[in-house]
Amino acid sequence: MPMPEYLNTSQPGMPDEIFRLLRDFIYEHSGIFFSDNKKAQLENRLALRLKMNNLPDFDKYYYMLKYDPQASRELRALFDSVTTNETSFFRSPPQIQAFQEKALPEILEKRAAQGEKILRLWSAGCSTGDEPYTLGMVVREVLGEKTPEWDVKIFASDISEKALKSARAAVYNDYTLRSVPPDIKKKYFIQEGSQFRVCDDVRMLVELQYLNFNDDKRVKLMRGFDIIFCRNVLIYFDDAAKKRFVSQLYDNLNPGGYLFIGHSESLHNISRAFKLVHFPGALGYKKE
Amino acid sequence: MERMILQTIRHLEDLPTLPSVAVEVMGLSRSPDVSIKDISECIHKDPPLAAKVLKMANSSFYRRGSQDIDTLHRAILLMGLNEVINITTSVSVLTSLGSRKSQGQSLRKKFWHHCIATGLIARRIDTRLRLRLQGREFVGGLLHDIGKIILDEYFHDQFMQAHSLSIERQCSMFEAENEVLGATHMEIGHFLAQKWGLPPYIADVSLNHHRPQDARFKDITSVVSIANLLAKAKELSCGGDTMSFVLKDQQGWHILKKMGHPMDSIDLERITFEIEDIGEEVKEYISTISDQEIQEHAHA
Ligand SMILES: C[S@@+](CC[C@H](N)C(=O)[O-])C[C@H]1O[C@@H](n2cnc3c(N)ncnc32)[C@H](O)[C@@H]1O
Ligand SMILES: [Fe+2]
Ligand SMILES: [Fe+2]
Repeated sequence: MPMPEYLNTSQPGMPDEIFRLLRDFIYEHSGIFFSDNKKAQLENRLALRLKMNNLPDFDKYYYMLKYDPQASRELRALFDSVTTNETSFFRSPPQIQAFQEKALPEILEKRAAQGEKILRLWSAGCSTGDEPYTLGMVVREVLGEKTPEWDVKIFASDISEKALKSARAAVYNDYTLRSVPPDIKKKYFIQEGSQFRVCDDVRMLVELQYLNFNDDKRVKLMRGFDIIFCRNVLIYFDDAAKKRFVSQLYDNLNPGGYLFIGHSESLHNISRAFKLVHFPGALGYKKE
Repeated sequence: MERMILQTIRHLEDLPTLPSVAVEVMGLSRSPDVSIKDISECIHKDPPLAAKVLKMANSSFYRRGSQDIDTLHRAILLMGLNEVINITTSVSVLTSLGSRKSQGQSLRKKFWHHCIATGLIARRIDTRLRLRLQGREFVGGLLHDIGKIILDEYFHDQFMQAHSLSIERQCSMFEAENEVLGATHMEIGHFLAQKWGLPPYIADVSLNHHRPQDARFKDITSVVSIANLLAKAKELSCGGDTMSFVLKDQQGWHILKKMGHPMDSIDLERITFEIEDIGEEVKEYISTISDQEIQEHAHA
């Protein structure tokens, strides 16, 4: 049932044409696609941007994005508000386990046999850092005493400045740590009151950076990865953007490398390049 | 030369047996001009078996329409002779083996979960690929590992040792069995299926579900081999091995593809997600078949 006009005083409505213009603009710049049934969601998320910019309606906001030379700053704020940064440590445990027990040991063994103890991981769409730090903890667990022999780097990127800022601070509350095994929690977090800070041994493995997946040129430069985590990111893209980005991720991987996407995401209609690997309770995509 | 352990099993006198009526039904089903009446009368000679078959026929696993299937005659009319024989086979084997006690009960429970999951997944693959294996893929999946029950019961310590070995080495259960016991659950299952006079495809699946290229019933065995892996991937495993695998590299996959089935169009991710909650269906199947339920049913 549509909301009666008089109740809807807080926000100016978003006419359909403006919705489409904004939707296309966002899609063009980030690959994130708001389908018709997500109009209300977009409207809600952008309402604050109107207020912050002192604009009376969505038309004006669109014209500002499109024609104002200063718009690039607003663009980042826009990305902040249209992305969902929902994440947690050790999210989807079977995937983390597949990484810990299967994919990572396989890669380490191969590298060690080649005599190059280099490991490159990428958490693509890292949000507030929970995922790359999780990977860092697992790598330390698996390498154990051998850690100093290895050159490990975990790149972590996101389009949301706000999320990256939290990732840099690396301080978390109990709730985002809910899936962390107790021994890991003890070993790699420093409790500060009700908060938990990731220890430096793990932080130093992670390199955070701003990266828009739509920026093809910069994405191309991300080369030589052994394992890429790009979980719960593709869901915001439509098929065309997914296809483009996933084929790019394929190129970013070393032969023998793995891509992990969100635990209920699928590449079935997106890419045939990878080999689908069934791990216990989790799927992975391998580049041969 | 026959393996030691098989010789031993051959001479065991207390091996579980099938209800004689079940044996008779399977015999009847092989004759070309068997009638609905012959089969239903035969099953009726064993009232508890008949009750179980009817209960299964009315369960969500088999029932299609909204009508109650109240007689075996009706069941055969509605579902076909093959499906009723399938049910009779599964129900009688599960009753014979399911009531056997083991020292390690927890493993037994996992075992049955694995087998039922394999059957259910095999059925989904059959539907997805339109293979029309007529429920035999389900029975094959359900019974593919029956050899393990015998090993667990008569060679319990060695079987447990094989189980630990397969965890330790991350090797498959049959490799570990071979090393510890000098025989595999496939050989034992094959022996049992033949001894019991189960339909030939079941003996074939028992023997070849880890090597479908050697099977006679290549389609059924291939489907079961794939379903077996998928069941394990959902952590519905009864061995120690938790190996990762690429389905498209499996023999069973290649065989089905060579037979002309549209393997490339299968959405493997989707099948995998769909079986994520197969555990619920497994439990439902168990409660349908368990004795206690049947008794309650009879008293109600
Ligand atoms: C739901 S979070 C997932 C975080 C983490 N990977 C996980 O699975 O828990 C999705 C992240 O993708 C980021 N994202 C969305 N579109 C993006 C784009 N075009 N370029 C870079 N990052 C993007 C969002 O900012 C958000 O932080
Ligand atoms: Fe087996
Ligand atoms: Fe099995």
